[in-house]
Amino acid sequence: MPKPVKKQINSQSELPNLNETVMSAIKSGKVTMKPKWYFLLGSIISTLSLVGLSIGVVFAINLTLFLLKSHGRMTQWKLELMLAGFPWWIPVLAIFGIILGIWLMKKYDFSYQKNFALIAAFFVVAMLIAGIMIDYFGINESWSKRGPMQRFYQQLNNRNDINRPWQKQLKTPKRINSLY
Amino acid sequence: MNNISQQSDEQVVELVRTKDQEIFSEIINRYQIKLLRYATYLTQDDYLAADVVQETFIKAFINLQSFNVKKRFSSWIYRIAHNQAINALKKQKKYSPIIDNLDFSSDQDIESDLLQSELRDQVQNCLEYLPILYREPLTLFYLEKKSYKEISDILRIPTKTVATRISRAKKQIRVICQNQLKNK
Repeated sequence: MPKPVKKQINSQSELPNLNETVMSAIKSGKVTMKPKWYFLLGSIISTLSLVGLSIGVVFAINLTLFLLKSHGRMTQWKLELMLAGFPWWIPVLAIFGIILGIWLMKKYDFSYQKNFALIAAFFVVAMLIAGIMIDYFGINESWSKRGPMQRFYQQLNNRNDINRPWQKQLKTPKRINSLY
Repeated sequence: MNNISQQSDEQVVELVRTKDQEIFSEIINRYQIKLLRYATYLTQDDYLAADVVQETFIKAFINLQSFNVKKRFSSWIYRIAHNQAINALKKQKKYSPIIDNLDFSSDQDIESDLLQSELRDQVQNCLEYLPILYREPLTLFYLEKKSYKEISDILRIPTKTVATRISRAKKQIRVICQNQLKNK
């Protein structure tokens, strides 16, 4: 193994006077202390981001489940059609949110003291369970029928209808029959 | 000033934050030598270490309001020094956390016969050959006399990982020192 190159200060006079250098920078105002509110704001923003992100991820997960359910049973050709027209940005957003959430959690003080892989896994599982639970208790259904989210759900469903040609095939003959 | 020298680091920090910023020189006096020694072990370069420590004090002062006085100030400032040293090494492309190919035989009972004092002397001579991943915890534990908890706070790794790295570092340094003796 090659010996590392070592640069040594050989005399006491070569030792830098750090106290003088640093204190003169402080006294002259070149170096200033950041105010307390700066750090307080930082931690508030980071906490709110994590909470908001978690809510967003849970919503994206349960929205994905809602859209999957609204397609009904998956036969192979139905699945292919659904895959072609599915609003992929929702699950992609959920995955991106999870990654961002894990990155944010890594910034917290507690994260290095525990097994971080376990914390990250817990976060992912918690998000999935929350998303599934909201869907399970039918909150999606009620949101799609009333309340401020109704319009958003309807728009998503309408977009999905365009991508569901089998439903159109069923509707068309009925219409023709009624004309006669 | 006499009164200040008797106060704890955390109390001095509180005085700097609330009363007089010039009291920060007390912090510099307390940590200058310790941090220079630590940075020198990490960088293996006295001049670079001096730059690292100067930047450490400046960063510590700028971010002093973010320090939680309920925690240990020494861990906090060592953490800044650690980050500065790693950044400086990365700039110089000297940072390689990958373990070097060191040949050590597993059947040797290397730990049992190793006394702490003997190890301390050996560490200082052989440290420069040790990969930085192991050099850091070993330096902090044996030379800076930090506890596992403090090392965990400085390096931001779990206490168990600190123990593992120190144990591996001891094994590696033993082999390095043995090889050095053979070569002499």
